[in-house]
Amino acid sequence: MAVDIASIPRRLYKTLSNLRTGIVLLILAGVSAALGTFILQRPITDLQQLQAAYSPETLRVLDRLGLTDVFHSWWFLTLLTLVSLSIVFVSVDRFPNSWRFYARPYRRTDSHFRNANPTKIELPIRNAEDGLNAAERAVKKLGWPVERITEGTDISLYSERYRFSVMAVYVIHASLLLIFLGGIVDGIVGYSGFMALQKGQTANVIEMKGERTKTLPFGVKCFGAGQENYADGSPKKWWSKLAVVQDGKEVRSKEIVVNDPLVYHGLRFYQASFGRTGAIESLKVAAVPESGIPQEITLAMNQPFQLDSNNEVTLAEFIPDFFIRDNQVFKRSDDPVNPAFRLMVKNLATGAETVQWLFPAYDPASQGQKANYRFQYQAMQMGYFTGLQVSFEPGQWLVWAGCILMGVGLFVAFYMVHMRLWVTAIPDNNGKLVLWVGGQANKNKDRFEQKFDEVVESIRAELGRALITPRSAHKSDEKPELTLVATK
Amino acid sequence: MATRARVMQMETPSTTGGNALLVLVALGVAFLLITALLGAAKSNEPLYNESNLLYVVLIFYAGAGALYMGFGVTGVAKYVKFASVATAVGFAANTLAVGHRWYLAGRPPFASIYEMLLSFVWTLAALTLVTEKKFGVKIIGSITMPLAVVCVILMQLLPSEVRPLVPALQSTWLHVHVTLAMLSYAACAVSFALAMMFLIKDHVTTETFLAWTSALVSAIYVSIVATRFEKWGGLSVTAWDAKEKSDIFLGKGMRLFVTVPDLGWLFVMAATAALLPLVLWAVARWRKNDSYYDVANKVVFVGILLQTVVLAAFLMRVRDASYASPFQEGLYPTSLAASPFILGGLVAGIFASLLYLMLLWRRADLEALLPSANTLDRVTYKTICIAFPLLTGMIAAGAYWANRTWGSYWSWDPKETWAAITWLIYAGYLHMRVTRGWRGRRAAYFAILGFGVVIFTFLGVTYLLPGLHAYA
Repeated sequence: MAVDIASIPRRLYKTLSNLRTGIVLLILAGVSAALGTFILQRPITDLQQLQAAYSPETLRVLDRLGLTDVFHSWWFLTLLTLVSLSIVFVSVDRFPNSWRFYARPYRRTDSHFRNANPTKIELPIRNAEDGLNAAERAVKKLGWPVERITEGTDISLYSERYRFSVMAVYVIHASLLLIFLGGIVDGIVGYSGFMALQKGQTANVIEMKGERTKTLPFGVKCFGAGQENYADGSPKKWWSKLAVVQDGKEVRSKEIVVNDPLVYHGLRFYQASFGRTGAIESLKVAAVPESGIPQEITLAMNQPFQLDSNNEVTLAEFIPDFFIRDNQVFKRSDDPVNPAFRLMVKNLATGAETVQWLFPAYDPASQGQKANYRFQYQAMQMGYFTGLQVSFEPGQWLVWAGCILMGVGLFVAFYMVHMRLWVTAIPDNNGKLVLWVGGQANKNKDRFEQKFDEVVESIRAELGRALITPRSAHKSDEKPELTLVATK
Repeated sequence: MATRARVMQMETPSTTGGNALLVLVALGVAFLLITALLGAAKSNEPLYNESNLLYVVLIFYAGAGALYMGFGVTGVAKYVKFASVATAVGFAANTLAVGHRWYLAGRPPFASIYEMLLSFVWTLAALTLVTEKKFGVKIIGSITMPLAVVCVILMQLLPSEVRPLVPALQSTWLHVHVTLAMLSYAACAVSFALAMMFLIKDHVTTETFLAWTSALVSAIYVSIVATRFEKWGGLSVTAWDAKEKSDIFLGKGMRLFVTVPDLGWLFVMAATAALLPLVLWAVARWRKNDSYYDVANKVVFVGILLQTVVLAAFLMRVRDASYASPFQEGLYPTSLAASPFILGGLVAGIFASLLYLMLLWRRADLEALLPSANTLDRVTYKTICIAFPLLTGMIAAGAYWANRTWGSYWSWDPKETWAAITWLIYAGYLHMRVTRGWRGRRAAYFAILGFGVVIFTFLGVTYLLPGLHAYA
């Protein structure tokens, strides 16, 4: 079989501009997308879960076919590309016809056209000019623009509404392409990642998929983060106070919550997660001297606090969830359910250190070697980190523009009906002069028939007579009051 | 309650003339209202609360459904008038229930699958009334009202307490997104009902309906049996923690199942009875012998009886009892609330079979009552012309909201993907209709397929496929 190389692009165009190909491609895309929801997908599933669900052989086959990551696989992307191409080609293929129709509307009322048009009526008139004038007034009264068409000696009226609605379908298809384009832009230049910050910390590196990182040209500082709960204990709000720091200056700051990100130079910082670091932020205790008045103090990790001229205390160790074995303190978990604190009291004069342990789950009072101070546990504040989803998606504006355009396009296409009216004066089959009124609509035909009846009623009223003429009125037995020689 | 509604409909074929059905439904409604009132009076709870309202909604929708079907069977015009009144009363109670919840929660009821169903049923009833009054499709309630009844029954079983909104849901876009979703889904449901009526009017043979009904019902039973049948004829259902009002979990996403002994066999029998008409239909076509159809129809009738027995047995055995689990020592309690979808499936199966019987017995009368096939075809198209832009808006609003919440407007989450597939199907319908001039049957099948996918997106994805859309 000889294949003419030069004909390949043309054939490709022919195939892709065929609506049937488009539908087949859409079905394929739909089926693949459905597969992607039934088969566990690597990006959103734990490896363990994946291995539990499929045997190694199955998993290998699925991986090979790209079925464990359908939405990023080359063949799915190819499919989407082909769908877009098909939309383009189908539109290109049909556009010239539509454009001709749009740019050069058929305004004439020749006999061939009159016979072919299904929605029509004939109203007896006395005189062509008066009839047309009456029709013009009537149609204008309904708010439709009217044109007078002169063809030689023939005069007719043409009126239409919402002609642009025939082009709406192209707007819809273009908007779909715009949305795809936005997706492609984000696929190429967009990125997203994760950043965890603790209170007071500044960072400019985001972690991306596959152990990659990206350094931002500015830093993000966290001034605090927190969680608020409802009375039943379920989370009500997560917040983080953030600031963008560039060249040592804070250029923007905002308290973000879920649903309300910080935006800086197209980069968006979302509140994504919130959790404990397992470290302690502060410990509040009452320091009780051997004699004298107890004082309330707040300790931070490894920062000495001077109790009086002779003594200082340091929070030297914190174990969120401890257990004791062989007289040693060990950590069981990061949950601060059973904390232990080691406090060091130092005599500044002698340099002697004594250890005090606090196990507030058992006893608020500290225990340990004999020391000048004992401590009473009061409260502790755990360290928190806030997890920020960072994303750069410049293509989203194309997507939103596409969505709006599609909304407009759909509205016009579905709800704005292109209606046309032709009016002319002709002799009917019996040679009597009648006003011929014909109409067409590109959709919603029954609604149009109502509208058409309305127009006809209005013309009738304007003609100043109430004749009951049957639709497609060939058998009108009514005699016009005056029979004039037709003007045409 | 479900059984009651069913019993009322079972009797409709025999009450051909006069007011018998009317009296029956009125008595049924009055009886159920009075028993409920007595029950409520005994307890100290306030009379005006959501569960009482929903009960009223259920009774009136069931009554309306019975009357619509009665109208379909007998053609007594009076029935449809009373059915409309019953729908309107139910709708009023439904509105109060929505308003009550809105007031209690201080936000529109869109935050859980329960609240979504509440809104969906409301929209469905509203559209039913509109379609009936505006387009003159009087009988549409005989399909939409049973659907509403199934939804309200499901709602009785789903966790219904007013939960505060988790942070991700605190957004105006939630309301935009869900309102559009409910409107478009309800429009899809109406287009489905219209397409079914078109098929009836378009002289699709009763045998074809037989095959489809049998396929649907057996799909329900076979999927239950395939996933829940246990050794020695048991049926496994989810264990229920009455105190926490939630399923019992073994681990993350792993529910604890208990086995109800012997119930499985009953399901196998019902599945066989449901499948048999389809087999007989195939045999009849193959042998070109119509007598098999008569047998198949008898089997459908037996099947309904069996399904009723299954439903009754399921209600009795699962409602409030404890069973052993094969996974963990000890007895665990179970409740209907833990198996809303099995129950929904059982009730839906009975409704589908009853609708078929209605068609089988009264087809000629039914056709006489419907508007012309052409009108039905056009109204179906119009409903989809309403549904499609709403669907588009729903997806766009969802994308915008996702972008504000998760930092990405499209993440191929199953719910998103299925919404896109639904959109594609209706887009395909519109293209075929506009450019290929698809009318009539093919278009009707498309509309039915579309609604099937809508149901899957709405309920199936939530319960079968994991994803971000965990709320509903």
